[in-house]
Amino acid sequence: MQFCALIVDSLRHALDRKLFWILVAITVLVTLMMLSIGFEGGKVSLFFGLVEAEVDSYDPLAASGKARLVGVVIYGLMDFFLGWVGITLVIIATAGLFPAMMESGVIDVVLSKPISRPVLFLYKYLASMVFVLIQAVLFVGFTFLVMGLRWGVWVPGYLLCIPLLVLLFSYVYCVSVLVAVLTRSTLAVILISLGAWVVFSGVRQAPAIFDTFPELQKHHVTHQVVRAVSWIPPKTADVTYLAAKWSNAGTSLDIIPASAMEDVSAAERGQLERSNQWEKEQLEISAFSSIGSSLLFEVFVVLLAMWKFTRMDF
Amino acid sequence: MVRVTELTNLAVDLVDVHKTYRKTVQALRGVNVQVRRGEIFGLLGPNGAGKSTLVKIMMTVVRPDKLVGTILGRPLGNRKKLALIGYLPENHRFPPYLTGEELLDYYGALAKVPKAMRRRRAAELLEWVAMSKWAKTCVGEYSKGMMQRLGLVQALLNDPQLLVLDEPTDGLDPAGRRAVRELLLRLRSEGKTIFLNSHLLSELEMVCDRVSILVNGLVARQGTLRELTEHTVEYRITTTGDLAAVKEAVERCGARIDNTVIILNGHNVAKVNELIDLLRGKGVLIESVVPHRFSLEEVFMETLGTAR
Repeated sequence: MQFCALIVDSLRHALDRKLFWILVAITVLVTLMMLSIGFEGGKVSLFFGLVEAEVDSYDPLAASGKARLVGVVIYGLMDFFLGWVGITLVIIATAGLFPAMMESGVIDVVLSKPISRPVLFLYKYLASMVFVLIQAVLFVGFTFLVMGLRWGVWVPGYLLCIPLLVLLFSYVYCVSVLVAVLTRSTLAVILISLGAWVVFSGVRQAPAIFDTFPELQKHHVTHQVVRAVSWIPPKTADVTYLAAKWSNAGTSLDIIPASAMEDVSAAERGQLERSNQWEKEQLEISAFSSIGSSLLFEVFVVLLAMWKFTRMDF
Repeated sequence: MVRVTELTNLAVDLVDVHKTYRKTVQALRGVNVQVRRGEIFGLLGPNGAGKSTLVKIMMTVVRPDKLVGTILGRPLGNRKKLALIGYLPENHRFPPYLTGEELLDYYGALAKVPKAMRRRRAAELLEWVAMSKWAKTCVGEYSKGMMQRLGLVQALLNDPQLLVLDEPTDGLDPAGRRAVRELLLRLRSEGKTIFLNSHLLSELEMVCDRVSILVNGLVARQGTLRELTEHTVEYRITTTGDLAAVKEAVERCGARIDNTVIILNGHNVAKVNELIDLLRGKGVLIESVVPHRFSLEEVFMETLGTAR
């Protein structure tokens, strides 16, 4: 009863926020853009047939036709709309949920109810995920239907992007909640959460710098330390790769075809090949270790925030 | 131990409550408060006395540094007992995106009130506070008085055994205040216990069975209104004519003269009669003898002066 009440309250709070509707508008816009793309014979039509283009034989599209395009679209959606744009907006939209609950005059009534602080904290944390779940269902659901109905390509694995997006959000949201408990400031939550997200992504990509530049690999100890440290924070970047892998869009990753490397110098070719190798390695990421270690971090931060919450005076 | 206390007549039994904020501000320095079941108990005190801290400790909003005691016979924070308490905090703020009806449903669910009951009670109580037509309006559009009435409704939604009200008449017009007073008296007649924290001494005086005066984090006075005001009674003997001839004798009796009025402090009937005999013996005509009991406000101010 209490959990449902907190979920419904979080939902009502979310619906009251303009950002919720901005995200819905983005979903509608992307859906319309995808709807405007069609395939006829060897041609791709854009803007509902206003522009038509022949598929170039050197274009990556030509390699495997529509499936290839779908892969690009899925990867693009995950990386851009569900990644940077989506998560940024969702962080901003949900940043106020905990500080609002902890406002003096609001928290007094809630804490006087027969609900323990840890349970209240956990329920509220989980209830906040509903906001993202709704957005993920709308975005992935609509784009899934467009790909199936308009393009005739049904990719059931794409639906896994829904839990993955919620997971990605939860990686960052644990930091939001900790900051909210420590500062009770929405602005601080937004700034620090976005900063943490950048740091998480950066730390995860750090070993790639070593892999790309052989001269750095001479510093073996540093290399190993960087690799080890990169496993501590949540692997936000891995989520995109996992989504690409699970939705069979792996072929659309930024892997440069061998034909494209024919005209480049040997040095550049070596760098491109290492880059390719990195991208391929990402597809081999173990979901268990990536998600498991990320969740460990998340659980630790959430427990820390919960501990602080249970010891606070309001 | 717990079972024994549950059987006692005390709804609130707090002993030696201490609270210090940020290791420097001593809000409570060993407060003892006992509230009997079925009474209206008033908590008084100047700003910064620690009243709100005490109330917040009772409602688990603030954690005490030290405390021994029970509420409704169980240790503070007991979930089952919290479900039997209604609370209206001072300066409460409700989520502005909820309608009155939604808000009551939300808080009712958090209080574990069954759905059917909270719907029925919400409708009844909204009707009682004349808010039915605002039930589907967002709380953000409510006036302060309306918010206060809604706050009272949410506190009463779970049909509490103990009602803790922090400044319940704040923002209410005279008619609203009167309605709250009537409600408190009705609830007391139904056997509910009410813990009232208010600055409005005249209002407390009208409804409270017992009060506690908190000064500088300590209980300076506690008891029934009669007990608190008893020692502060004074008798005013109004006379006609000149009192110069009896001035010395009157002062020997411990009284003082103010024009034609003789004032005798304290509850001492024998002394009053002694004075009357004296005056009559000297031929002074007595117009009236009026015992004057101090108001709660006067007791409060006296206590404050003594404590400081």
